[in-house]
Amino acid sequence: MNISVSQAQGRVPVAVLSVQGDLDASNYQDLIAKAKDIHRTGTGHILLDLTHTSFVSSSGLVAIHSIAMLLRGEELPDTEHGWASIHAVGQKLPPGAQPYLKLLNPQPKVDRTLEKAGLKGFFEIHTDLSTAVASF
Amino acid sequence: MEHTLDVAAELKNLAVIRHFIEDSAKRLGAGLNTIEDLIQAVDESAANIILHGYKGRSGKIVVEIRKEGSALVVCLRDQARPFDPTRVPPPDLTLPLEERRLGGLGVYLTRQLTDGMSHRVTSEGGNELTLRKKIR
Repeated sequence: MNISVSQAQGRVPVAVLSVQGDLDASNYQDLIAKAKDIHRTGTGHILLDLTHTSFVSSSGLVAIHSIAMLLRGEELPDTEHGWASIHAVGQKLPPGAQPYLKLLNPQPKVDRTLEKAGLKGFFEIHTDLSTAVASF
Repeated sequence: MEHTLDVAAELKNLAVIRHFIEDSAKRLGAGLNTIEDLIQAVDESAANIILHGYKGRSGKIVVEIRKEGSALVVCLRDQARPFDPTRVPPPDLTLPLEERRLGGLGVYLTRQLTDGMSHRVTSEGGNELTLRKKIR
């Protein structure tokens, strides 16, 4: 897996975090670490670009959830608690209301994984970069 | 025809296991959706063995895939402490989010993605997890 970061400017600065390759139990903590780096620099809005993400395991879903929690200023969950970690994201906000983390262009396989895990309803999913950036 | 992979139980080998399942399932005549579901289910199961079975100890995972009638059958064998994932109760999706139990996302996805899952303790005291997926 390779992770790249670029900056985009909408109404607010947005970090576009692109994941190329497979996001699994061997590397999901790298993605969380990259998001922490972004957050530390003061960028509070992340667009997770899944255009070139070929596979996401449950560990990858936990990473996505953890980034959402991080950007909301909440304590990161214990990633051992996979199911609870995923669904804790929906405990305080209605579906689709994650204001600081949005997803871009998940491919059908990844989209199915998001859906099967019950995570899809918690995030705005965009298919166009400029629309996604402008939505923050 | 039977295909077998014998690898060290290390997270870096999850990609090796996924590629093995993809190649073998193709050779055994499975379609794209069947292959994708099986890859995800086997990845989740193997990650659980490495993270929660071996828990950092060295060991190996043997993955075997074969065709039985109109289904693909995958067996994962290990020498980790006995653990039966089929006894992990499914999450109750009717409960409010805050009342759902902890853990088990990988097992939940595996159940969602396969048509059958069984477990037995081997004569050597390890585990044999069998996943069955109808070819579609």
